[in-house]
Amino acid sequence: MKSINLPEILAPAGSLDKLKVAVLYGANAVYVGGQKFGLRTAAENFTLDELREGISFAHERGAKVYVVLNSFLHDKDLSELPQFVSFLSEIGTDAVIVSDLGVVRTVKEFSNIPVHISTQASTLNSQSAKLWKKAGADRIVLGREVSVKEAGKIKREAGIEIEMFIHGSMCMAYSGHCVISNFTQGRDSNRGGCAHSCRFEYSIEGLDTPEKKKAYFMSSKDLEGLRVLPQFIEEGIDSLKIEGRMKSHLYAGTMTKVYSEALDFFKENGNFLSDDLLRWESELKKVSHRSYTEASLVNKAGADSIFNERENSAEAEWQMVGTVVEANPESGIVLEVRNAFNQGDHLEMIPFKGENIQITANEIMDLSMRAIQRTKPTTLVRLPFVDGVKKMHLVRQRIKA
Amino acid sequence: MKLTTYASSLHDLSLLKDKKIDEVILAARSFSRFGKLSHSEFIQMAKRSKELGLRVLFEWDILMTEDVFETKVKEISDYLPSVDAIRVQDPGALWWVLENTKCPIQFIAENGNHNLKALEGWIDIAQGRLERLVLSIELPKATIQEYVEKLSVPCELLGLGRILLFYTPRSLLSPLNGEKLALNEELAALGESEESPHKGFPLVENQHGTFMFHIKEFCLLDYAKELSEMGLGYFRIDQRWAGWEHLDLITNLIMDYNEFQFESFKQQYPQELMRGFYLVNKTDVLFPKLKNARLQHREGNYLGEVLEAEKSSHLAIMVKNPNGLNVSDKLKILHPKGEIFETKIFSLRNLSLKEVEFIPSGDVALIQFVGGVWVKSQVFYID
Repeated sequence: MKSINLPEILAPAGSLDKLKVAVLYGANAVYVGGQKFGLRTAAENFTLDELREGISFAHERGAKVYVVLNSFLHDKDLSELPQFVSFLSEIGTDAVIVSDLGVVRTVKEFSNIPVHISTQASTLNSQSAKLWKKAGADRIVLGREVSVKEAGKIKREAGIEIEMFIHGSMCMAYSGHCVISNFTQGRDSNRGGCAHSCRFEYSIEGLDTPEKKKAYFMSSKDLEGLRVLPQFIEEGIDSLKIEGRMKSHLYAGTMTKVYSEALDFFKENGNFLSDDLLRWESELKKVSHRSYTEASLVNKAGADSIFNERENSAEAEWQMVGTVVEANPESGIVLEVRNAFNQGDHLEMIPFKGENIQITANEIMDLSMRAIQRTKPTTLVRLPFVDGVKKMHLVRQRIKA
Repeated sequence: MKLTTYASSLHDLSLLKDKKIDEVILAARSFSRFGKLSHSEFIQMAKRSKELGLRVLFEWDILMTEDVFETKVKEISDYLPSVDAIRVQDPGALWWVLENTKCPIQFIAENGNHNLKALEGWIDIAQGRLERLVLSIELPKATIQEYVEKLSVPCELLGLGRILLFYTPRSLLSPLNGEKLALNEELAALGESEESPHKGFPLVENQHGTFMFHIKEFCLLDYAKELSEMGLGYFRIDQRWAGWEHLDLITNLIMDYNEFQFESFKQQYPQELMRGFYLVNKTDVLFPKLKNARLQHREGNYLGEVLEAEKSSHLAIMVKNPNGLNVSDKLKILHPKGEIFETKIFSLRNLSLKEVEFIPSGDVALIQFVGGVWVKSQVFYID
């Protein structure tokens, strides 16, 4: 089989713990935010110490770390950037993700860190990619309106690395071109203050009926590109990004694992004709999500890409039970419980690679070795050791048939 | 300060005569977000504009994926001989015009571009070809003044017109009617949400996608004199939705502002008006409140987080500092509500319940219970 360059899987990491989860579950790279300059103001984000530790953790395991600086900065914000850029350079940051030309120029001035142009810049065509390349960019994260086929053409025409989103929530607007929050809530969406007004229900007047029509007409379904993987590979896309720095550990781990496993399968077999395809799809559905769409990856997103439902209306079938904080024959499996479960419940441990490990919680103890029948969130509990279970494995449970 | 505006018909052009306007923006349906002109209408309008002594500015402000871009490049040569300058917003359009024409360029930097370095960057990229920068309406006046003074090309600012809030290439209104729009058809509606105090957002769907506008129009007519004195090059009046019947009053207000006249204008104008962030832009002041205060104190001597607080028994701490935790370390514990507790470690156990002297980073340490401490408390070393 001829050698094929496979894209990297780029996973979100909203905190140091999530970075570790993403890397352990197979991410080739993660993207993270510092306390400033990114678009996820409400996320935990990384302190300077955590950035240093996160980069060290990732590099030791062969993964890269990209730091987001993708706000459209005002002058006063920009004045604080050089010091942070110098720090990022010193700790070995693999790239920064940038939307604003002023930020690109500042990064180039104060470091040699590679620059990735954020999707927030809505780069949609090869001419735009050429301009950003001229401005110093090393990679373009294309707008989600671009098809994989167009992306391949952009890569070939502009001669630059291309990254595309493969999974997660989507802006309905061209990214960076929505200022609803700015003008209606006084929160700059392009500096991290997005109020998600596109997810509201609207009454619309003036259509083909005299009555107002109620609809979530500006809300997009979530992107899911598992079956598009062959096209991504065929077009030579360099990086496949999973959206979701605000999302859970379970999300970061599950999504990363599924897409990494699928690419590993391709690497070994040269195709995706795997019996696991349905299992991978089933895994993607186990994490809370809006209905999935391939959006514009293959054909332009149509009416069926609109999520005309109330947010969080779809209850998840599965929920995260907790994270393994210790696992050895002596301590047993010690779980940090996020959602309560009962003695006798069936739990699913998600290993970093391979099939899930099914266990039944017949015996639950607290840390002091007292037997308990029902766990409580925000406690640590002990289960008997099971071979294959490791520290930082995620654990979930089906809550709805 | 010069005025610039749109014209959508020969009649509009005739209204611009005698208004001391020496240029006009013509918006072709195929290239402009809200363009109405077919190719033949555009050519006719361009010809008439020149007869009237008006410079013709060709608006190419749509955003384009690769395939769309390719079709536009094929069409544009039919327009170029008739235009004096091109206004672009997609950086790809900017690059294409730079590489393939000699036409003067006006770059629409209305989206983002809230720092001087970015604006200077666009001027540098264009290598002397930019004749104008269109500034964001989110900039406050002190910033506008600084940019006008420091930038090497003239700047333009919207003086009166709709505020575009949202732009998507997807068709969002026609699905509600159950049928697709015809190529040159436009669908207009009003939207409101119970989750927003604002009622009646104008919505438009056309061949380029779906757009949402603010319920009020942006208006700096009462600051026109101030902007002129700052040295602003161009003041844009966009009457494509409100109509042209107020043009005399608008130009009078710009040339010779009068408060009484302005009040009268506001009464007559079909839309409510706002000045946006012209006086001050504080769209980042709420950010600290969006963040969980508990998570903001992890710098310095940060050790880790309390995972379990078992009364009369133990605290379980996830050790996150590379230096780990030793017996006899002194700790400060910050409760999620802000209360601070101090303690000294006199016994340390691991999860196998063995007494140990040291717990490394990444492991859970069991220490004595400290009354009042909750799960999610943050733990720090005391030097």
